[in-house]
Amino acid sequence: MGELLSIKNLKTYFYTEDGVIKAVDDVSLSIREGETLGVVGESGCGKSITAMSILKLIPNPPGKIVDGEIIFDGKDLTKATDEEIRKIRGNKISVIFQEPMTSLNPVFTIGDQIIEAIVLHQNMNKEKAREKAIDMLKLVGIPRADEVVDAYPHELSGGMRQRAMIAMAMACNPKLLIADEPTTALDVTIQAQILDLMRDLKNKTNTSIMLITHDLGVVAEMADHVVVMYAGKVVEEANVYEIFKNPMHPYTLGLLESKPILNQDKDRLNSIPGQVPNPLNMPEGCYFHPRCSKAMDICRREQPELCSVKDGHRVACHLYREVK
Amino acid sequence: MAELKKNTNKNVELKGAKKEDIMSPWKVVKHRLRRNKLAMVGLYTLLFMIILAIFGPIVQKYVFGITMEKIDLYNISAPPSLKHPLGTDEVGRDILTRLMYGGRISLTVGIVAVSISVVIGSIIGGISGYYGGVVDGIIMRLVDIFMCFPFFPLLLMLAAVLSDYKVDPKYRIYFVMIIIGILSWTGLARIVRGQILSLREQEFMQAAEALGLRDRRKIFRHLLPNTFASIIVSATLGIGSAILSESALSYLGLGVTPPYPSWGQMVQVATDYYVMQYEYWKWIPPGVCIFLTVMAINLFGDGLRDALDPKLKR
Amino acid sequence: MIPVLIGVSIIIFLIFQAAPGDALTGMMDPKMSYETKQKLRKQLHLDEPGIIQYKYWVQNVLKGDFGESFYFKQPVGKVMNTYIWNSFYLSLASFILSVLIAIPIGVISATRQYSFMDYFFTVFALIGISMPSFFFGLLLIKWFAVDIKLFPVSGMMTAGSTAVGFAKFKDVMYHMTLPLIVLTLGSVAGLMRYTRSSMLEVIRQDYVRTARAKGLREKVVIYKHALRNALIPVVTIFGMWLPGLFSGAMITEAIFNWPGIGPIELLAVNNRDYPLLMGINMLLAFLTLLGNLIADVTYALVDPRIRLK
Ligand SMILES: Nc1ncnc2c1ncn2[C@@H]1O[C@H](COP(=O)(O)OP(=O)(O)OP(=O)(O)O)[C@@H](O)[C@H]1O
Ligand code: SF4
Ligand SMILES: [Mg+2]
Repeated sequence: MGELLSIKNLKTYFYTEDGVIKAVDDVSLSIREGETLGVVGESGCGKSITAMSILKLIPNPPGKIVDGEIIFDGKDLTKATDEEIRKIRGNKISVIFQEPMTSLNPVFTIGDQIIEAIVLHQNMNKEKAREKAIDMLKLVGIPRADEVVDAYPHELSGGMRQRAMIAMAMACNPKLLIADEPTTALDVTIQAQILDLMRDLKNKTNTSIMLITHDLGVVAEMADHVVVMYAGKVVEEANVYEIFKNPMHPYTLGLLESKPILNQDKDRLNSIPGQVPNPLNMPEGCYFHPRCSKAMDICRREQPELCSVKDGHRVACHLYREVK
Repeated sequence: MAELKKNTNKNVELKGAKKEDIMSPWKVVKHRLRRNKLAMVGLYTLLFMIILAIFGPIVQKYVFGITMEKIDLYNISAPPSLKHPLGTDEVGRDILTRLMYGGRISLTVGIVAVSISVVIGSIIGGISGYYGGVVDGIIMRLVDIFMCFPFFPLLLMLAAVLSDYKVDPKYRIYFVMIIIGILSWTGLARIVRGQILSLREQEFMQAAEALGLRDRRKIFRHLLPNTFASIIVSATLGIGSAILSESALSYLGLGVTPPYPSWGQMVQVATDYYVMQYEYWKWIPPGVCIFLTVMAINLFGDGLRDALDPKLKR
Repeated sequence: MIPVLIGVSIIIFLIFQAAPGDALTGMMDPKMSYETKQKLRKQLHLDEPGIIQYKYWVQNVLKGDFGESFYFKQPVGKVMNTYIWNSFYLSLASFILSVLIAIPIGVISATRQYSFMDYFFTVFALIGISMPSFFFGLLLIKWFAVDIKLFPVSGMMTAGSTAVGFAKFKDVMYHMTLPLIVLTLGSVAGLMRYTRSSMLEVIRQDYVRTARAKGLREKVVIYKHALRNALIPVVTIFGMWLPGLFSGAMITEAIFNWPGIGPIELLAVNNRDYPLLMGINMLLAFLTLLGNLIADVTYALVDPRIRLK
């Protein structure tokens, strides 16, 4: 499998009234064709901003891609013109957003919104595009697709809207699908259905997926490869078996331990003590050290680099420095 | 399934607040206002006008011996000169001095009228939002009725009715303030009501409930202070429109009447084409004063709204 | 709506009850004898208590009879009908012009928040809101009508003109220019600020990001996806403009001597022509309510989330 997308040393910063927020700080990762990459980490660690940087969807101002490369299909997207990026958006790379309830435009019908994307990228006339839209809605398992195509978003449930979003995203057979927490806002049974659907689609079309989530259960089920992020940085990266069998970074360990027992109160899951650092005021040394039970002297002074520890398993932690 | 989101979100907020709690909320607002150049231009212009209105007449009287009624028989309708920097009017009174007095009147009318409307608006809005239900229904219908009247025609009618009672010019100005105040509370009442409705459901009010506080205390000590930001913004902008209303009324001869000067009334002389064409000093300065004062208030009020709006943080 | 209208009518009635004298004072010929006066009073039910008078007044209003104007010595309805349309032409022209100017600059301001353009338009809008219309009108007359004589000082048509058709239209437009500028400056400002804040709210929404992520052009994203949503609250305030279209801009019309309802109302105020004043205000209140109704209907038309019950 060849590399489809590779991000190298990406830095995306927000220049706000109160200071610079380094939302994505020197992140490198890559996705191979047909692969699903899971990106996990606590809220605010920069998962979405990494994903949005790929398609240059960062609100500017205040956000800006400061440095780094994003190579897709052999081309550096950070240097692409607006016109070039537009040809890729929704065509070769599609996105499903976190919030199905608000991601569809309330004043246009579902059909209009899907047809718009099809007409834009695939020389099709309106009627053909409409047929294709209905087909896509059927494909994502929407009953009565020929009626739903004329429905407005508010007439559908959250799960149905997310299906419609997926239909829209898949309509142009993208090579890469970025799914930013596609199921977070949905309830558990619907979550499972949507994930099944995505896996199905992936197997049918060989689309690569960048799956962003907080949910290690979803990662275990869906991903081939996993990237763990903390405070704008990648702290660990390995294939999915390795991550679950042999987690190394203390943060990853914490995440795995905090995996809840089923039916537990959802709000009290985090067993990693301490708080996410203030993005405006990052601690010296390893960003994780105030919360790390294994923190050493050096951790307070020096930032660990991401190093290969084993074949394809990389960690950014001073504990594993010697192994290198 | 691991859900890390909820609790960390709160943490981020707490952390974010850490840096700001060195600055009290009002300091933050002040800081943000300071950085807004337009708002600062507004503020300084406004301060200048206020100082001129308060101290100008005193200086004129005790330093130059000129009062608003003093007639200079040798300079009637005289253009600007050293002695009369803005010239004199048709009976030989110093225009600059009259402008300063006019400023006192316009600013007072603005402030008093808005105070009246703020008091009425927040009390009615507060009661309506707090009690909800039937009380709210009735009050909001009343607000609808008030809002049905085109503001200016109604103002005119009331002013005309007042004229018929032959109110002494000395007291007229108070009536003008009261009428403008009474006619403009509805907008604020709606804003306050909306905010109180949503505040009422919040946790700290349940605490107040549990403490068994009396309704009045709950409304005035706990709920209304939380709507302070919107009240202050709408009051600031309200002063501007009250000054505009007063000047329009006075221009039409239904507001402040002679011998008391008011900016709007001073512009009136321009209805005479001769004055309009050749004696610009009689009517352009008062018009410019109205415009500058109201503009300054609007610039400042607009900046204040931005500074008080947490959503607008850059 | 009906209870509100009743409330409005009561208040209007009360204001005029509060005025000294009664409907006869303005109409009376000083030479009229006491007996004739009494007879007239009886005829007009003025000798009866307020509530009965109110009943008669409402009955007449419902029949479309607002009484007789003291000043014009004509039925109020007829007087209003003569002048209201002149106000309407002027206001309508200003309305159209305002919308055409305000919405684009509101959008530009919002999409380039904090840019030079945004500050420029913001200051422009605040000038429009802060400028007293009578002063601005007088300034325009001085500069453009008196000093350089580019436009007429006042009126709606050249005196004695018998032009018809297009020539007449041109003549009216020529007279309309200055008042139109004054009116439009005032309304552009408010509408532009409203569009701007509505647009600012919308461009932060997720669906705008979705539209961008589809690969649409920025123009399509803004003018189709965002603007369509941002205009929902804006078009609903169009309904609120309905009374404004007929009430005329009293002061502006008066300054330019535009023969609309504004100067008539001023005349009525100055001559204490109560029936005419009551008629005009009743009509405006009614139009306000109608405007609210239209706003609700438009809301349902432009926002698919709302359906008429
Ligand atoms: N528009 C913005 N302005 C300023 N800072 C921003 C903005 N958007 C994001 N950030 C910052 O970027 C950081 C990363 O945000 P991001 O949305 O990528 O988090 P995330 O990992 O996707 O979290 P979540 O799980 O909640 O979606 C956050 O700390 C946030 O403070
Ligand atoms: S570098 Fe030190 S503080 Fe950071 S995770 Fe490793 S052990 Fe903990
Ligand atoms: Mg996110």
